[in-house]
This record gives sequence, structure tokens and C-alpha cells, in this order.
Amino acid sequence: MLHLIDELKVIPGVMGACIVNSQTGVKVSNLPAIFRVERLVLVGQHLLKIYAAGRMSFADLTDITLNYDESVVVARELEKNTLLFAICDPSFNQNLLTMSFNLLHEEFKLGNFVEADAEIVAPGAGQTTAPSPSAKGTISDPLKNLLKAMKASLGKILGPMAEFIFDEATDLWIEQGAPDFSRIEELVEQLDREIDDQDKSTKYRQLISSALKDFQKG
Amino acid sequence: MATAKDFVERVSQIAGVAGCLLIRSDGMVVDQTSDDVEGYSSLLQISSGLAADIMNGTGFSHCRYINFQRTNNQSFYIFPIDQYLLGIIQQEDCSVNEMLEQVFSLLDKVSTNRG
Repeated sequence: MLHLIDELKVIPGVMGACIVNSQTGVKVSNLPAIFRVERLVLVGQHLLKIYAAGRMSFADLTDITLNYDESVVVARELEKNTLLFAICDPSFNQNLLTMSFNLLHEEFKLGNFVEADAEIVAPGAGQTTAPSPSAKGTISDPLKNLLKAMKASLGKILGPMAEFIFDEATDLWIEQGAPDFSRIEELVEQLDREIDDQDKSTKYRQLISSALKDFQKG
Repeated sequence: MATAKDFVERVSQIAGVAGCLLIRSDGMVVDQTSDDVEGYSSLLQISSGLAADIMNGTGFSHCRYINFQRTNNQSFYIFPIDQYLLGIIQQEDCSVNEMLEQVFSLLDKVSTNRG
């Protein structure tokens, strides 16, 4: 995998690139060491949210570009929750980078990255361990209905980003253990962290309290 | 930005601009010449906030603009301007560089943060 993003780095003006998964952290990076892993995870997660927001308005969205005074960040979603981004000088050749993104994306779709997973470099702080597939489980219909109600309530707190955030948190929750009501507090706590506002978290808990009680009553 | 509506009018007249909207950072729409104002308004607020978070997290300085590239070549741009956010829908076939040049020329006249 590393050699594929190394090909991006040879493009004039491209400082380096990184592939981030919102759940498992940095998969690979060849950016200078000044971009620490936890920062890359943060950047990747924010870019994924911008991408998700953009998708709500533009179904045919390809890349997003953030132009800062001294740097440009170009990002593309390779698959759900997995994002490729490059950090460049403002003078970089965008057409060339876009073409290289297209080629890399095709390689990714073909699955050519899978067996190269062992090449992951610079894992570290802020990166979570990928859970085993066996941790995944099926969700009962009543629990699905509860999750649907919780998602709708989150929309009242976070607006348009709620759907993306809820799906992301739920995916993580399912990956970390059996999707059972006994673990619902873990999901709510994860959502608390995403809401990142005590008042809003309290309000969200109030909004979902009746749905949780109804579920418990059966 | 006392003449915000005039500003929007001038932006909409730039070659390559298919539509635009100007909102305050609190989400209030000042003026627009595009459809789906509600959707674009949310996109402007969310994206600019996250771009600012990235800026703070990485040490980057001012975010000049955000670009959403689409397969139909009708890109969407977000320009943070002081306490406002400008969204621009680009026409499919236009000179992007010329359009951006004219937009920045206009922004330089109205913003206090641009040099």
C-alpha cells in the first residue's frame, strides 16, 4: 500500500498522502513526521464529515479540496469511512493529482490494497485496533427500531450531520461487541463524545429516555 | 458588509458563477441566487466549521476556500469572509481560474481579513 501513495508523493508540490479509516485510524501515511498520527486521524475524521455533508448536496461528489494560505488538502473517499488525502503546496498540479487519485482509487476498488495491509506504517496514538469480524453480530428488529428512534432524536440535536455521525458511531459499536441492549450505554457514551456539548448531550439523553424505557418494557 | 445584497449581485454576475448564496456564520441567509438554500446553508456552516477545526489541529493558517468537485464539473465553492460564508455554484463550462480571480478580487474589497 505504501508504494501506491509514494507515487503521489513524486508529484511536484505534493508533500505526502495518507489513508485513514474513521474506525481503525491511519492505514498508511508518507507525510512528514511533523504530521503526527493522532493529528492525521483527526484531519481524516473531519474530512470524512465534510465529505458526508457534501454528499448530501451532491450525489456525484468526487474530491474535496481545502485551500489554506500555505497548504492545500485534497481528499477522496475510497469507500465508506475510508479516506485518502494529500497535503500539498499551493503550487501543486491539481489535474495530475486528480488523475493519480483516479488510478489509486481503481487499485483500491480492485482490492489491490488488501494483501498489502501488513505494510501499514506509523501506527500509534489515536489509532484503535481493528476488531475481529467475529465481534460483528446481527441486530434484532426491536433493537433496529430503537436505533432508528435514537438516530431521529440525534437529528434534533445535531441537524444534517446526525445521520452520518450516528451511522459511524453505530458501526463502531457493532464492531466492538455484540449489538445488544445491554451495551446501549456504550453507544450513548460514544454519541456523547461526538456531540461534544454537555447541554446538548443532556438534552439528547432526555429525548431518547422514553424510547429506551419502552424498549426495556418490551 | 453593509451592502451584502449588492455584493451577492456582483458575485452572481461574475463569468462562470451559476448561482451563489451569502449567509452569516450563525446560518442566517443574507441573500441568494440559487435553489436549495437550506441544504447549501447547512453545508456552508458544517464544512467551514470543520475546516477551521482542521486548521487549528494542524497549525494551518487562514482557510481561503473549500471546493467540492463533482463529476459534472459543476463544482461548489465555500469562501469564509469574516463573519459570513459565501457559497458559489460554478457553471459547468467556464474558466475556473478566471472565475476565482474575480471572486478573490471582489473579496479583497469587502473583507477585513484579507491582504
